[in-house]
Amino acid sequence: MKSKFLTTSAAVLALGLTAACGGGGDAENARSAKGPIKVWLSNNPEEITWGKAMVKEWNAAHPDEKVTAQEIPAGKTSEEVIGASITAGNAPCLVFNTSPAAVPQFQKQGGLVPLDDFSKGTEYVESRSGDSAEQYKSPDGKYYQIPWKQNPVMIFYNKDLFKKAGLDTSKPPLTTYADFLATSKKIVDSGAAPSAIAPAPSSEFFQSWFDFYPLYAAESGGKQTIEDGKATFDSPAGKDVWNFWHEMYAKGYSPKEKYDGDSFADKKAAMAVVGPWAIAVYKGKVDWGVAPVPTKDGAAPGDVYSFTDAKNIGLYSACKNQQTAWDLLKFATSEEQDGKLLETTGQMPIRTDLATTYASYFQKHPEYKTFADQASRTVEVPNVPNSVEIWQNIRDEYSSSVIFDKTPVDDAISKAAASANDLASGS
Amino acid sequence: MSRTFWTRTALFLGALVFLFPFYYMLVGSFQKTPDTTVRGIFPTGGWTLDNYTDINSRVNLLQSLLNSVIVTSGVLLGTVVFGVLAGYALARLHFRGRGTLFAVMLLVQIIPFQLLIIPIYVMIVRSYGLADSYAGMILPFAINSTAVFVFRQFFIGLPDDLFSAAMLDGASELRIMWSIAIPLVRPAILTACLITFIGPWNEFLWPFLVTKNQDLQPLAVTLANYISNIAGRATNPFGAILAGAVVLAAPAVALFVVFQKHFTATEISSGVKG
Amino acid sequence: MSTPVTQRILGRHPLGLLFAAPYAVFLAMVFAWPLALAVWMSFHDYFFAAPGVPVDRPFVGLDNYVTVLGDPDVRRSFVNVGIFLLINVPLTVVLSLVLAAGLNAAVRARTFLRVSYYVPYVTASVALVAVWLFLFSSGGLVNEILGPLAPSPSWLVNAKAAMPVIALFVTWKQLGLFILLYLAALQAIPRDLYDAAAVDRATGLRAFWHVTVPGVRPATTLVVILATITGANLFTEPYLLTNGGGPDGASTSPVFVMYQKGIEQGNPDTAAAIGVVLVVAVLLISLVNRKLLERD
Repeated sequence: MKSKFLTTSAAVLALGLTAACGGGGDAENARSAKGPIKVWLSNNPEEITWGKAMVKEWNAAHPDEKVTAQEIPAGKTSEEVIGASITAGNAPCLVFNTSPAAVPQFQKQGGLVPLDDFSKGTEYVESRSGDSAEQYKSPDGKYYQIPWKQNPVMIFYNKDLFKKAGLDTSKPPLTTYADFLATSKKIVDSGAAPSAIAPAPSSEFFQSWFDFYPLYAAESGGKQTIEDGKATFDSPAGKDVWNFWHEMYAKGYSPKEKYDGDSFADKKAAMAVVGPWAIAVYKGKVDWGVAPVPTKDGAAPGDVYSFTDAKNIGLYSACKNQQTAWDLLKFATSEEQDGKLLETTGQMPIRTDLATTYASYFQKHPEYKTFADQASRTVEVPNVPNSVEIWQNIRDEYSSSVIFDKTPVDDAISKAAASANDLASGS
Repeated sequence: MSRTFWTRTALFLGALVFLFPFYYMLVGSFQKTPDTTVRGIFPTGGWTLDNYTDINSRVNLLQSLLNSVIVTSGVLLGTVVFGVLAGYALARLHFRGRGTLFAVMLLVQIIPFQLLIIPIYVMIVRSYGLADSYAGMILPFAINSTAVFVFRQFFIGLPDDLFSAAMLDGASELRIMWSIAIPLVRPAILTACLITFIGPWNEFLWPFLVTKNQDLQPLAVTLANYISNIAGRATNPFGAILAGAVVLAAPAVALFVVFQKHFTATEISSGVKG
Repeated sequence: MSTPVTQRILGRHPLGLLFAAPYAVFLAMVFAWPLALAVWMSFHDYFFAAPGVPVDRPFVGLDNYVTVLGDPDVRRSFVNVGIFLLINVPLTVVLSLVLAAGLNAAVRARTFLRVSYYVPYVTASVALVAVWLFLFSSGGLVNEILGPLAPSPSWLVNAKAAMPVIALFVTWKQLGLFILLYLAALQAIPRDLYDAAAVDRATGLRAFWHVTVPGVRPATTLVVILATITGANLFTEPYLLTNGGGPDGASTSPVFVMYQKGIEQGNPDTAAAIGVVLVVAVLLISLVNRKLLERD
């Protein structure tokens, strides 16, 4: 007994001591240090192409400040990996896949460096992104991320299937909820496709960003779910959105089961919720058209808001050579590199005057123009504490009421809003 | 019809039912388009190797396979060397703390890994600096407690007279273990290896957290990653996913088929005698 | 040679300490310390922070436990796992014993049969889930065969069917190990017991019931306890088969909720509380199972 106890306590003590003696103290040195750094890219193939080229260019010009790029999965596990690495102290200097919803958590962990701390940092962020930058400020007024690229959410429709259902393919009736529902009915009834549109009905916390949130942004005229620390969606706008989707599921226009594969490409659904990334994915597979998300009473396309689906860049506190990281960050978000990003991936850099700066690109690729235009009217997830938990609660209530019709929509929304208020206050 | 006939038929039918998902997985992975009809069970056309070539172009299969082998071998080595020692000690040696160690060994099997994963991660990455290394992937699994249990049960099952003769001759404990127990333990080692090998070979959460360097990631990680993130962009996502699944399952199944005759009951029979 | 004093402190064979030491140290590092930390976390307001960041970690007593036990999501996950165990454990015991008995008696094609039953056990869940999703999706083979009998909504999105499908999957996958355990126990039953039973004209099913089943009692205890432990710690299958916990949380499990709260939402303190509750529950159930089954 005693020997085991001694062994254990000795081991625990040793470990406790080593674990307690972590970092600290050289934050100031790190801020101005230059040298080799590590960065993470998402494993989206086009982003990797862009990232590798960007790093190569940098390394050629800065042989003393070599950058090593690694890939992390683009999916939801990305946040878990970053969070774990912050805890362990081995996060890279930059992560070119920082989800705005995860920033409050990373910030709370002490894992991010405010960009304002760098000389002219705030100016750089704000001059590049203009007014949109505002939504990315943390409650303490600082920027713990730089808004990097977005994929404004719109609706793709399959022109062939629409023709089969007898619908107009150049001006499809998708502007009001009533129109959208009628169109969906035609699609399903005519047998053109088993479903009208198939957003993922599963319960991951981020799924709401592709059914509820874009429509809410549109219906509320550009509101976030939480503003000034209070939930905004327990309102006529929020209820209208939930009731709309409720009807889509109840009438069978949207499936309650997640399709394992691409429902739009496999012609199982006539429409899809997409961003500009979809243009490359569906090229040659589907003859698509694009429309903004619907609102209850309809609105001119130039007035409809949507969700950004942005991924940003964060500078992490574990970085030893933060000056290099900052310089690389500026390089990677320069007009030239942003242009290359646009060309290689089709995703929209979050810059003011996007359409005019890259006018020649949009002339050559008019399909992207609609998205570029939508990009000026997008809404981000609110930067509040416990952001992920809030979205999970919203999703759980949404799932229970809208998708599976177990609870009434009004009750579910109130519950979600109440818990959001609680969590956003930082408890 | 004799009873043996019915037993045999039932067993065969059961085996077919058990194997069916594997068969279906194999068939689906060679198809150009997924076919979920009943007739699709025995497809006559639409064969293609595309799903596999797609995996090969996106993922470095050979390197991942090598990594899996290295990590699993590390665990097997740790388990056999230190597990046999511990199992023998627990079975035949009386020392202070034996009861506690045995109790803790049982307790280990009850605690879910997810409860401990972040503290272990912090310890291995922060305190020992073992991120992006084989040692980091191996360490939490280095000695498999089930295998220790198997060794213990095996040593308990050895007849006492084997040892009493040596003890009468005045041999030291070390000598006894080395010349008598170790040569006999081979069958138990094989069983323990088969039990231990499954864990690290199929584990994806831990190596995935610990390594970002793709050259170090084992097969389970690269394929799980492929299945969840990349397969969706292939021409036949379903087929690509199934192909990924086949590649992941194949080595384990192959190894098992080769060694299965050693995976017999006698080695652990003493354990279940009570 | 050990002296009486060393013997009293260290036991009769102090060499055992040396042999067991690496394993003991390993357990202390990889198990005891993280477990202690997890328990400590469950009593504090804790979140993971970057190294060197000063952070408040106040002691909060039983607050986390109160939150957790009052959380309907957590409660439902325990209920789900209960449903799972009620299906999985008896099914496992019965199927594995019957199949083991069959395999024991079989002489021809024994290799083929054994391999078929063990193969799911050695394969990664990640690989098998892919084909099960394919089979059980609403357009999948199972529904094609069932035709009008197919449940709607389909299996994995049906709140009543999701957990049973997972239970079926796990039973199928794990059976190999338990068949092995029973095979071992069956071979240990002395032949004369069967001969004696035959004298009393108890053969076939009666022999099975009166000789085999009692004869493998210790194995049954082991199988039940192991199946319960693995079942209670269910994580990979809900995570992979029904991403996000299934239709309206119908297939969440306590470990899954722990993962969500601890790793996804950054609340390792409440996650640790769930973990502790789970471990205590499993220990209690295992003890009860053991008492019930070894009533001899």
